[in-house]
Amino acid sequence: MAVKEMTSKELHARIDAGDSVFILDVRNPNDFEDWKIEGKTLRQVNIPYFDFLEEDEAVYNQLPKETEIVVVCAKGGSAQMVAEQLDEKGYSTSVLEGGMLSWSQFYHPVTVSTGEDMKLIQLNRLAKGCLSYMVISGGEALVVDANRHIEEYMALAKRENVKIAHIIDTHLHADHISGGAALAQETGATYYLSSSEMQGSTALPYEPLEQHETLKIGSVNAKVLAVPTPGHTPGSTSVLIDDRFLLSGDTIFVGGLGRPDLGGKAREWAQSLYDTVFKTVAALSDDVLVLPTHFADIKEINENGYVGATLGAIRASNEVMRNEDREAFTEKVAGASGATPPNFEEIVGINRGEIQVTAEQATDLEIGPNRCAVHHS
Amino acid sequence: MNADLIVDAKGLSCPMPIVRAKKGIDSLQSGQVMQLEATDKGSVNDFQGWIKQTGNEMLKMEEDNGVYRFFVKKA
Repeated sequence: MAVKEMTSKELHARIDAGDSVFILDVRNPNDFEDWKIEGKTLRQVNIPYFDFLEEDEAVYNQLPKETEIVVVCAKGGSAQMVAEQLDEKGYSTSVLEGGMLSWSQFYHPVTVSTGEDMKLIQLNRLAKGCLSYMVISGGEALVVDANRHIEEYMALAKRENVKIAHIIDTHLHADHISGGAALAQETGATYYLSSSEMQGSTALPYEPLEQHETLKIGSVNAKVLAVPTPGHTPGSTSVLIDDRFLLSGDTIFVGGLGRPDLGGKAREWAQSLYDTVFKTVAALSDDVLVLPTHFADIKEINENGYVGATLGAIRASNEVMRNEDREAFTEKVAGASGATPPNFEEIVGINRGEIQVTAEQATDLEIGPNRCAVHHS
Repeated sequence: MNADLIVDAKGLSCPMPIVRAKKGIDSLQSGQVMQLEATDKGSVNDFQGWIKQTGNEMLKMEEDNGVYRFFVKKA
């Protein structure tokens, strides 16, 4: 038998189809604990590749003979070595091509809604827990919160036969590098971001989002409203489409609220978040579907294959959305925010256009999980 | 620091630095010291994991212009 290569897309398709997939992750236990492939029906063990260098048969005890084993490492090299070794012992193996590096660059598009006037697609970058959106109407597209692999959006636009005309970042991202400005440059689209997020930086060309309350996509009037929802950052803006879909950025997640502490002014920003939740968002109906920019847990992917929940469901499952006590709210959201996203200060600088990095440096900076949600239950 | 064996793994990517390290250590007697040089950043964490796993002793670790140098005493 030979060791097969499996692309991230193939691996995802199998996990998505509910096939039984067995992953052997051969990275360092620390790296594995910090960040790994997740899936609802996944079986997974972590045995570092260097354990396979010792002639100790015990390492094989945890591995099934009857199931194909997908071997995963950081970039593919160690997984190949281990897979070959397993192959010689009669195991059926394949290697995740490009390892976690490739997994971190895999985007899965899912159509959330499709109608005569408008189509809404969520692009899920699973490894990072990053979600971005394409709103299509009348031959044009609006892209919201594009990640840095802009070819994904261009390919999707091509498949949908539409022209990308508008690009919005709901806020200045701290956990991943934005593709907004680069995508705008490549496509000739307009890039919008709330100007308060730039703090005076003029390194990137952008259109102040606060000067565009409504946007027109194509010839058809899908109603696109830019709603200021400060809190996670002062210029955080949500995009309300047809009064039915709220692209909420990092303001509201399926599992809670965006953390207000990344600017070093947690209590102050928490006040803005309070007003956003109990004034602006309170005015929206329970039926509005909230589509955030991140998810914290694979379980947030719903039965339709996308991450999102109605505002009613989110209100019902998050006590912090119901208790109007301002002081208690502040304590809760400003208090327990946990570890900051890795390299967030540098990423913010890049997204403001103040720091330039190579693709390789960008990859290193982004490695690891997302940490933008407040983890409170 | 004096080493009994110098292993050059510069320019090699994962898993080769650890494979070379394993071969190197296997050729030594208990108490002898191996010096390993690598340029693969990803190997640094892995190297520490491997040392821990094998029970050898990391005497010193240094970085010099992108070259990581490890001194390991065989258990």
